[in-house]
Amino acid sequence: MTTHDWYVENRLDFAARTLDTTDELKFADHVPRCDECRAAIQEIERDLAWLPMAAVPVRPRPGFRHQIIENILGARQPAWRRWIAPISIAASFLIALGLYVPERRESDRLAVALTARTSELMFLRDSLSVMRQAAHVLQARISMNGHEGGMLIFADDISHRWNVVVHGLPPAPSGETYQFWFVCSDGMVRGATLTSDPGKPVFLTLGMPAGGGTVIGAALTMESNSNRSPEPRGKELAHLSL
Amino acid sequence: MVIVREKRLRERLIARDEQALVELVEVATPWLLGVTHAMLSDSGDAEEVVMQTFEIAWNRIGLFRDDGSELMPWLLRIARNRAIDRLRSQRRHQAKAKRVTESVGPEELVTAAVEPNEAAQPGWHVHEVVQAAIAALPDEQRTIIRLAYYEGLTQSEIAVHLAIPLGTVKSRLHRAFGKLRSALATVRDWNL
Repeated sequence: MTTHDWYVENRLDFAARTLDTTDELKFADHVPRCDECRAAIQEIERDLAWLPMAAVPVRPRPGFRHQIIENILGARQPAWRRWIAPISIAASFLIALGLYVPERRESDRLAVALTARTSELMFLRDSLSVMRQAAHVLQARISMNGHEGGMLIFADDISHRWNVVVHGLPPAPSGETYQFWFVCSDGMVRGATLTSDPGKPVFLTLGMPAGGGTVIGAALTMESNSNRSPEPRGKELAHLSL
Repeated sequence: MVIVREKRLRERLIARDEQALVELVEVATPWLLGVTHAMLSDSGDAEEVVMQTFEIAWNRIGLFRDDGSELMPWLLRIARNRAIDRLRSQRRHQAKAKRVTESVGPEELVTAAVEPNEAAQPGWHVHEVVQAAIAALPDEQRTIIRLAYYEGLTQSEIAVHLAIPLGTVKSRLHRAFGKLRSALATVRDWNL
């Protein structure tokens, strides 16, 4: 029996999620690297696609569908609908009173502020979703110039995104910068650069890099600003493996 | 016809058409609630998972692979996976599995009607085909399918709860899934 035979035997169990956690993780790690298994699993998923519909449909309670929509689109739509009528009426009166222009400016300002606030909320919600569904949480302590900090990674295997938190590090020396790297099966891939402040953690939400193969870890280095190389040249401050 | 409709709905969702989201929620919610309610046995938990499912779908619709995969199965898969994650992470399945083995028969939870006949619901005929396929399985295979697929238990957990060898669980599961794959071939191409 070859190593791959085990995966062949357990494809159905993986697709149906009946494997124990250790085996499920082992299989999940294998799938992105095996076209044959990935295709076979997609085929099984298609064949069994409707199996959950054995359950009798449940009529949603009144207002639940609206709640779903509101949850996804945020308060933007209802707020808009709620305010459009009064704003229109108010604008009409203001035209009559010759105050249209300043009020219009004010309503535009409010609309911009509302859009910005909604976007901010959506970003926060998105970042939080990565943390909440993280399959792995990795952390490393970093000591630097008398500062005790660290790097924390929340890895979401479903959306293939990471939330990275770097905290407690002093500002980078002049001419240098903190550089985040993805450690991939084919080598290192440059991620984001960081500006650190010991009193304020840095939060990043990162998608997986397009090249470099499977992501197997991450590193933080201190790089010279002149280093444009695809490989790290500076001092490694932290190294984490998935 | 339905495939074209589904494809259009998907394209509109990718284009962030909020009305398309409303239409998707309208059609899919009862089925998603059905499966999450059957798995979690708690209305609040079921609603939360359905909420998360739509949120994930809305945020990732752009990544949805265009290789013949369909929208509704994708949603059902997300909902089931989230429900399993919840069962496992909160370790509720242990208590639930105990309840299941102590008190119910092979198909009770799967077929328990939470609502009266919903025959007008799009997809009802698929539900009937799936039900018939499961009902046609021998008792021991039906029990294993229920525990594995709808209760979210792993093979080892099933072996412990039914006091049978792991190999027996595995072989019964494979035989049952084999039969179900054949039986469900008739509705494989159904769409929203």
